[in-house]
Amino acid sequence: MSTVDDPRERLEFLQGTLEVLILRCLQSRPNHAYGITQFLEQQSGDEFLVDNGSLYPALQRLLQRTWIAAQWKTSPNGRRARYYRLTPAGRKQLVVATSKWQRFVEAMGRVLAPEG
Amino acid sequence: MRAWWSKVCAALTGRRDLVDDLNAEIAAQLEFEIEANLARGVPPDEARAAAHRRIGNLTRIQERAREAWSFPSLETIAQDLRYGLRGLRRSPGFSLVVVLTLALGIGANTAIFSVVNSVLLRPLPYPAADRLVWLGESDPKAEGISVTWVNYQHWRNENHSFEEMAGFHTTHLTLTGRGEALLTRAGTVTSGFFGLLGAKPLLGRVFGEADDRPGAPLTAVLDYRFWVDKLGANANVVGSTLALNGQPYEVLGVLPPEFRFFEQSIDFYLPLHRMQGDILDRGGHGSMRLLARLKPGVTLLSAVADLDGIMRRLAEVDPGPESQHRAYGVFLSEYRTHDVRPTLLVLLAAVGLVLIIACANVASLLLARGTARSREIAIRTAIGAGRVRLARQLLTENLLLAGLGGIAGGLLAQWGARVLIATGPRDIPRIAETTFDWRVLLFAAAITLLTGLFTGLAPVLTAGRPDLVSALKDSSRSATGRGGQASRSAMVVAEIAITLVLAFAAALLMRNLIAAQTGNPGFDPEHVLALELVLPSSSYRSQQAIQNFHDRLRQDLRALPGVTAVGAVNCPPSAGDCGDWFYSILDQPAPQPGEVPISLFNTADRDYFGAMRIPLREGRPFAENERPSVAIVNETFARKWWPKTSAVGHRIKSGGPYRNGPIYEIVGVVGDVGQMGLGTEPYPEIYLPFSQSQSEAVVVMIRSAGDPQSLVSAVRGRVAAIDRNLPIQSLRPFAQTVVASLAQRRFSTVLLALFAALAMVLAAVGIYGLLSYWVRIREHEIAIRMALGAPRPVILRWAGWQALRLSLIGAGIGILAAWAASRWLEDLVFGVSARNYTTLAAATVAVIGVAMTAAAIPIWRATEVDAVDKLHRA
Repeated sequence: MSTVDDPRERLEFLQGTLEVLILRCLQSRPNHAYGITQFLEQQSGDEFLVDNGSLYPALQRLLQRTWIAAQWKTSPNGRRARYYRLTPAGRKQLVVATSKWQRFVEAMGRVLAPEG
Repeated sequence: MRAWWSKVCAALTGRRDLVDDLNAEIAAQLEFEIEANLARGVPPDEARAAAHRRIGNLTRIQERAREAWSFPSLETIAQDLRYGLRGLRRSPGFSLVVVLTLALGIGANTAIFSVVNSVLLRPLPYPAADRLVWLGESDPKAEGISVTWVNYQHWRNENHSFEEMAGFHTTHLTLTGRGEALLTRAGTVTSGFFGLLGAKPLLGRVFGEADDRPGAPLTAVLDYRFWVDKLGANANVVGSTLALNGQPYEVLGVLPPEFRFFEQSIDFYLPLHRMQGDILDRGGHGSMRLLARLKPGVTLLSAVADLDGIMRRLAEVDPGPESQHRAYGVFLSEYRTHDVRPTLLVLLAAVGLVLIIACANVASLLLARGTARSREIAIRTAIGAGRVRLARQLLTENLLLAGLGGIAGGLLAQWGARVLIATGPRDIPRIAETTFDWRVLLFAAAITLLTGLFTGLAPVLTAGRPDLVSALKDSSRSATGRGGQASRSAMVVAEIAITLVLAFAAALLMRNLIAAQTGNPGFDPEHVLALELVLPSSSYRSQQAIQNFHDRLRQDLRALPGVTAVGAVNCPPSAGDCGDWFYSILDQPAPQPGEVPISLFNTADRDYFGAMRIPLREGRPFAENERPSVAIVNETFARKWWPKTSAVGHRIKSGGPYRNGPIYEIVGVVGDVGQMGLGTEPYPEIYLPFSQSQSEAVVVMIRSAGDPQSLVSAVRGRVAAIDRNLPIQSLRPFAQTVVASLAQRRFSTVLLALFAALAMVLAAVGIYGLLSYWVRIREHEIAIRMALGAPRPVILRWAGWQALRLSLIGAGIGILAAWAASRWLEDLVFGVSARNYTTLAAATVAVIGVAMTAAAIPIWRATEVDAVDKLHRA
């Protein structure tokens, strides 16, 4: 929906990637939904476009698996927002998922690399 | 697992908090976005609008986030069902047509299946019935020959494959001393019989080993019905005696009401003693067959091989004319249903095809409605319904329709099954036991589900990718028209093809039945009264006594006013196989022991052929007091041996070259009659004169000048005047018997014709619907063509060609399919080839005719399009 006014085609998330990225985003500090969106778009050099229709369900799924926890807090600029933070289980999951993704990316790279 | 648990908690505690949290969170995000936009120097209005755009479809976010917490299947199914019911109510006419069509298809299938289930599938009501086997002897020419007493003893004592074995046959006896003399039917069985069938007596006891011994007292076990109907359910019956054929039989017990083994009703059971003189003769055949139960884990094949081994050993020790004889075994359940299995399977296949047509029609209707609903679907997509979700909803709706159709069909089937039982021929075993057990319900549920999926998938697949813009802009133009049209055309083609197959099958059976009814049966059944008698051997001990009775009877009957001829026969036409035996021709080379031919043997008196108007082809009929050793053969017999020359004067040896048997000289040749049933392939037959071999069972054919029915009481009087104690087995016009013998064929023919008619109606509705739709979406095009000067005939040809093209393609496929299917029909048309070009051509013409008639209205409507009005409005 929100791609309508953006002429550049951005990357869509592969199944399950958004969850890992959210975990990574929350690794340094707790954050709210808007903050997570900003973080992911900036860190990816605006390659990723975070769709709210995907973000919120992903957050719900992470909550269900107790990899993250949510809490209403006041932001530094005085707004109330729902902050998400990593749980110990989430931290463990991030390690597992990261190494899996790195292996996946390397493998993809090897396959896709030009021969020679 | 943990995720699942948290869903359960969420479901229990309610999800209001979740929704509130989400809304607050999104509101917070909106504020962040606006703030960020303002910080970048965007004007306030635009900052707000851009933030809203960025947030996206709020409802969709909420729905999807909520889905993460819910059991989507259950909740959305409930919702889909609600939508579905609402949709059905919105178009009651459409829903009614769909539900009725499906109810018809599912109901007919379930009704036929309930009969198939009862007759073919349900296990016989005996313990370990799947191991019960019917045994006979076999030789290279015939299977299921009766087992001789000697062989039975060897099989029973020497086999390693069977748990238990018992012999049985049936016989007639006359019951006297209880009012009017009564012809009764007895099952003669060895003592193992009741144990094999798990029958426990209601009163008294059944036979034990002691009752099998030669010289054991005469005893009887009563059937429940006989006990109730004829003996008034007398509780003190055990120990009393019955006078059967003039001898006292002691009643040992009464069987429970549900016990039944023989296809005919049986009045009581008597112990089967060995027959006199059979103790040493391995070839002494009676009519005993065996019932046996296989040991667990033993296959029928190896069990029969076991018995074959015994037969081979016996042949070495005691060689004889039957050294070639082996054992023949078939599962009891198969033996019972062997005759009706092909008929029922063909009917089941036919009714299945009807269901496919019904499905195609419903799918077609749903497709058309899907097109009409493309606007609704487009709106739903626009407000955020996902593809999968939409497909699921359409499918749920269609399954709901199928479910309603299934329920209505189930009710229809209950009624239909009752009609089938009431009108079905009595000789289909166990048809009366048809009930709706779990198998029938499972079958109905399964076909309902399949129907729902089949009819539901086509519209779902085409509705998958609606073109939003065009669907929203213009509701009259369909977004999915082309794809839908193609699949609907394919369905109409399939319907026509299937209808053609059914029409061919029905026409073939009808033709066959009509031929059997109206074709020359080889005799004239009209104006003939058939009197069936069985002379009890107790009162007619000698050949002379039988002869005297018959002489007097014929004389008395002939003297009746209105009677023109009286003739007697042992086995009347259509009575089936009353006995066949080996023979050889004396002046022909002797056949190998395994190659001895078999012929039907019948006995007839001098006037039988004349009374039945069976034409004499050669030689002479029997004379009064015919000298011994003469025979008359039928045309098939004569042609088989002397195709070019006369059969008269040649001699036949009964029993063939390897058995003892009398020699007969052929004195005449008569026309063939359908001994096995009307319109069946003729079989070689030898008639012996009545005076040579008197038979206890006889059918006296009385030809009258007027209505044979009017002679009934006079005939009864004459028989009673000769022998007051002689029961009359049956007395009715022979034409009735002949008609009744076609009951099973009429049953399958009527059902097939019904299915074919149903298929035709459905296919007609299908092509009508398709063409109406085709015309409707082309009204514009037609209007333009007409405005440009296309005359009506051109439009007519254009629309007509559409219908004809589909009909021709369908008919082409149908012809091929019918030709392939004709192999399965051979069993139903009794030896007549099922590959009949005329019938196929007639069926093709009929189906194309029906299709084009159904198409006529929409085609005509195409030419009636008001060009001016149509273009004006556009």
